[in-house]
Amino acid sequence: MNTTALDAPASRLEVMATVIAHDLEDGEWVEVGANLPVPRAGALLAHLTRGPNMTVMLAMTKAYLVDEPVIEDFAFITDVGAMRWAEAYYQHDQLLNQQRHRAHGVFYCGGIQIDAYGNSNLIGIGDDYRRLRFRGPGPIGTCNATVQSGRWHLVTTSHTPRVLVEQVDFISAVGYGRGEPDLRASLGLQNPGPSSIITPLCVFDFGPEDRRARLKSLHPGVSLQEVVDSTGFAFEHDEAVATTPAPSAEELHTLRTRIDAHGDLR
Amino acid sequence: MTVGIGGFINSGHPMTLVRQLITDGKRDLVVVGAASSGLEVDLLIAAGCVAKVVSPYVGAEGFAGIGPAFRKAAQDGSIETFELDEAHFYAGLRASAQRLPFNPWRAGVGTSIPVVNPAIKEFRDPINDELLLAVPAIDIDVCLLHAATSDEFGNVQHNGTRYGDTAMSAASDKTFVSVERICSTEQVRANPLATSIAGADGVVRAPFGAHPFSADGFYVPDADHIKTYLVAADTWLRTDDREPLEEYLDRYVRGVVHADYLDRIGHPALLGLNEF
Repeated sequence: MNTTALDAPASRLEVMATVIAHDLEDGEWVEVGANLPVPRAGALLAHLTRGPNMTVMLAMTKAYLVDEPVIEDFAFITDVGAMRWAEAYYQHDQLLNQQRHRAHGVFYCGGIQIDAYGNSNLIGIGDDYRRLRFRGPGPIGTCNATVQSGRWHLVTTSHTPRVLVEQVDFISAVGYGRGEPDLRASLGLQNPGPSSIITPLCVFDFGPEDRRARLKSLHPGVSLQEVVDSTGFAFEHDEAVATTPAPSAEELHTLRTRIDAHGDLR
Repeated sequence: MTVGIGGFINSGHPMTLVRQLITDGKRDLVVVGAASSGLEVDLLIAAGCVAKVVSPYVGAEGFAGIGPAFRKAAQDGSIETFELDEAHFYAGLRASAQRLPFNPWRAGVGTSIPVVNPAIKEFRDPINDELLLAVPAIDIDVCLLHAATSDEFGNVQHNGTRYGDTAMSAASDKTFVSVERICSTEQVRANPLATSIAGADGVVRAPFGAHPFSADGFYVPDADHIKTYLVAADTWLRTDDREPLEEYLDRYVRGVVHADYLDRIGHPALLGLNEF
């Protein structure tokens, strides 16, 4: 690792991780999966800088990592390397019996499509489910986690018009439907819905009345026009759009030396 | 026939048994993959064994976000997919284990899941009149698992978290487990709480039996071999050309007994798959 890399301004993915870190509160429960490096980095940044009482689920273990000098990243959710820190295992087939405590949890939901009303699609793209143009990986656990967690965000590292669409072709995790008032309450869903869409370019939140995504802040160095050109739905924004807070020097140092030592986010 | 296959994404699949299904020329299988299944399901699809897949995910994490053969077969309609979330997966297994027609679940109302998968139905519960999903029992005929050890009586012990293996076995008529080692019953008695499958219907001694995937406590995934398969399956997906896939199946799967399979992988590769 060279000093130039350590001194360089924050990358867009590092800003994204910082957005995730700043949003988390000490004491919350957060999953640190293997295959979502940005939410992983954000959750660990919050844990190391101001979240000693967070419950961190690292690759199917419960772990306390505040004193770890360098936290290696794992290629797989099943990597047994994480077990050196395990205080408990997350036994996957006990999932059905472990929903009550997820109300303290924060979840990050991706999607092959994410729409203007915060719905996510991991099923596929096309009009006919039996003849999809693009078969997605499947809902995984996003359908359930977005209902059981206390609060959740949508995240994507691919801010393009193909991913951020006006309306998803299929809903595997429901956000705000088509913006109907009180949709989630009428369905009996137990949290208020997605708080934001976090991307490498910006943060969207959702209008309290129409439930539609609106631009909350632009990451440093990103223009409004770039976001307009990269987004498949129209959105409202303030005349002077806020700038997403960049990581502090200390946060950036922690990210680059302890969390993302290999530089995957740079 | 409905076959359940344990493990989780790039770990713990009973690959010796999966390859044997292909060698045996099985067709029209309903495959219940793991809550997150990996390329073991993809391989069965690529070999033409599968009519229907029941799994919330088929892929290989960083190697391949979506299984290429799964994607191709689902897109061209040659396999049926039973769309569900991992919570629905376990609810269906639990219903089967409980010998009930369904288990209720809340998450999934308002999504496309009960629309594209009408076997999962929305209903109003008779206690509080809440809108819920009825997830039908997922009944498995034969469950195939891979674990660390078993004694000669089928008292199976896993290393690690064992993923969803016990839930899948509980939903199955019969369970067969390949293991890294056969151990003595005295060793089982030293820690009976670790027995995860108490009395499998059969066990198969298969060192490196989860290869090219990992076995907790023994070896890590063989990234090079997984990529070899993915190149072949990806070629089929993108160009319709099955030749590399047929070559892969001939070299590593069809008619290749386990010892010969390990020979073709080679000792240097196998011995390089250390845990740490």
